[in-house]
Amino acid sequence: MEWLIAEACGSFPYLLRLILEGLLIGVIYSLMALGLTLIFSVLNIVSFSHGEFYMIGGYVVYTVLHHFKQVPGLVAVFLAAVVTFLIGAVFERLFLQPMAKGQVDRPNEYAILVTFGLAFVLQFVMLGLMGPFPKKVPRFFSFPEIDLGFLRTTRTTLFLGKIPLPGSRIFAAIIALIALGAMLYFMYRTWTGWALQAVSQDRNAAAVVGINPLNMNTLAFALGGMLAGLAGAVLVSVFSWVPWVGVPASAKSFVIIVLGGMGSIPGSLVGGLILGVVESLGTGCWPNPATAQAYRDVFGLVIFALVLLVKPTGLFGRKL
Amino acid sequence: MTFRRIYILWGLTAIFLLGLLLYPILPGVNLQPYWVLVGMTALFYAILASSWALLAGYTGQFSFAHMAFMGLGTYTAGILIRDTGIAPWMGTVAGVLMTGIVGLLIGYLCLRLRSTYLALFTIAFAEIFRLVVKAEVKITGGPNGLELPPYQRPEALERLLKAIFPYWDANPYVPAYYYMALLFFLSLLFMFFLVRSRFGLFFRAVREDEEAAAALGVHVVNTRVLAFVVSSMIAGFAGIVFHHFIGLIVPDQMQIVRMSLVIAMAVIGGSQNLIGAAIGAIFIHFALELLQEIRMPLAVLENLLFLENWGFSVDLQAGVLRTNAWRMVAFGILLMVTLRFAQNGLISPILDWLARKEAAEEVAKRFRAQREMDRVDDVEAVEETTTASTVTEGD
Repeated sequence: MEWLIAEACGSFPYLLRLILEGLLIGVIYSLMALGLTLIFSVLNIVSFSHGEFYMIGGYVVYTVLHHFKQVPGLVAVFLAAVVTFLIGAVFERLFLQPMAKGQVDRPNEYAILVTFGLAFVLQFVMLGLMGPFPKKVPRFFSFPEIDLGFLRTTRTTLFLGKIPLPGSRIFAAIIALIALGAMLYFMYRTWTGWALQAVSQDRNAAAVVGINPLNMNTLAFALGGMLAGLAGAVLVSVFSWVPWVGVPASAKSFVIIVLGGMGSIPGSLVGGLILGVVESLGTGCWPNPATAQAYRDVFGLVIFALVLLVKPTGLFGRKL
Repeated sequence: MTFRRIYILWGLTAIFLLGLLLYPILPGVNLQPYWVLVGMTALFYAILASSWALLAGYTGQFSFAHMAFMGLGTYTAGILIRDTGIAPWMGTVAGVLMTGIVGLLIGYLCLRLRSTYLALFTIAFAEIFRLVVKAEVKITGGPNGLELPPYQRPEALERLLKAIFPYWDANPYVPAYYYMALLFFLSLLFMFFLVRSRFGLFFRAVREDEEAAAALGVHVVNTRVLAFVVSSMIAGFAGIVFHHFIGLIVPDQMQIVRMSLVIAMAVIGGSQNLIGAAIGAIFIHFALELLQEIRMPLAVLENLLFLENWGFSVDLQAGVLRTNAWRMVAFGILLMVTLRFAQNGLISPILDWLARKEAAEEVAKRFRAQREMDRVDDVEAVEETTTASTVTEGD
């Protein structure tokens, strides 16, 4: 075993570091995929503009922090959530509600194209507003300096034993975990969350007991967009941001929901972590470091193809 | 002789074909290399949009990897020609075959499942393929692109074409334009016959009702895969030919943004009508070119300087307003509105009105004539005939 690890990927601590980094980013993938799952389970469509909500979330944080330097980072993240929620709600009312009401022919095809059209519009609106050059947000959180022997922090990095973990990613993962927890609490412990689940299980039965399915559609789409926006808002300090940053991000969430099973909440959480770890290990062990980053996304595609080949319903999927 | 709408259609077709033929010397184009190139690119997009419409409009499956297939074919051809030194036409054949093989694999992987899966998989495939091409600098040339040598054109044909078009040598884009126009014409003809054949019926049957089509003996998966492979191969072919004339392909040609543009062209033109999609593509490509710079008086322009903060650029010296990204936004919104309120697109309903309505009226006329003849034959049943004729009159 030791020999195998050394042969493939260097030392054991290096491997451990890759896994931890993968889990950190995987939490954020899970958050994004949870949004897509929520949309799919309630509206029964896949939103092809999911990555653009992610992109807008990041740009809102950038704009707020760029113009108002005193604003704390968390407020900017909150504003990003509000903006993406509103965009989602307005779009759903204008373009998806007619579909739910049966005013559109061939609803499945319409849903794919109209969400893709929204992605197109949002990309170019942001290109017009922000320009094509990459934007970078400075780290908006620094650790207090602690030394507990095993766990040691500097302002930018956390050391777990000898393994360094970048602070901005840990911060992003913590916010994502809080958002995930809040979302799961909302879904499983509040009346509105139950209503969302009821609509996803049986629209007509939900309508009979007094839930308005159309309002739940709007809520689900807006919340889904908001989760993607949150993911973007916490990652904008990690990656540099261009208007096309959402395309690979949405490709990743597609891989996750197919891996976890379309419409399954536990599936999207587990799938996100799996994708994060696989990507991190694959990139870290890629023989040629110069092209390793480009192949980061390829592992997702390989997982996608394998799932379609072996078990198209995914890990936790119930139906096709 | 009465006036028939179909004559308008014939007239428009004649004008369109004549325009296609004489485009390089039309006033305004005047053999300027830039505008000849624009025309050639418009035809390239027209092929892509109509082949995308073959898949989307006839089988209801959405591929977001159309541009990626175009790039896959071109890169295959380019790399083979560079590394093995085969003739460009052999590279073209190899490239088209490659798109067919990859299309077959992806088709069988995704098309067994509901239509969302093809869309999901192809969007991931397209983006990741582009990133890999960009990263593998040693094989593909990376972001700087890959050069493709020009085709060796048969001399006898060249001499003949020079005799027909005296301005053939005016600039290198003129022959390229005509070869592209020929390819456009042939691929449209091929797809037209394909959808008119029994396969076209299979495509539509599978789209309208999968179970019913399967019950009548149509192999649903094979039919979809056929449509996907044919549509991808046409994209690959068009890409290879186009980039041989351009001489260079860069990975950014495969950006998902360009894919969106092809989709916008097909949907606005009418994705259920190949010719509608092609005309939509030509129209939108020219509209985008013309909207790039809007010429306006200086007095107006000086008041528009504030737009500089919003992504426009105001060029006071040239006296133009550059719309940059916002012209794309306009077409994106047009795409969404078209989807919502005119699912058949904006151009194909006009074509249908010119062609099909006429046919329906013709059928109704024959039907009435038949009823008339029945009445004459059937002298005994006078009463029934009278009721029937009143019904016909009422119609």
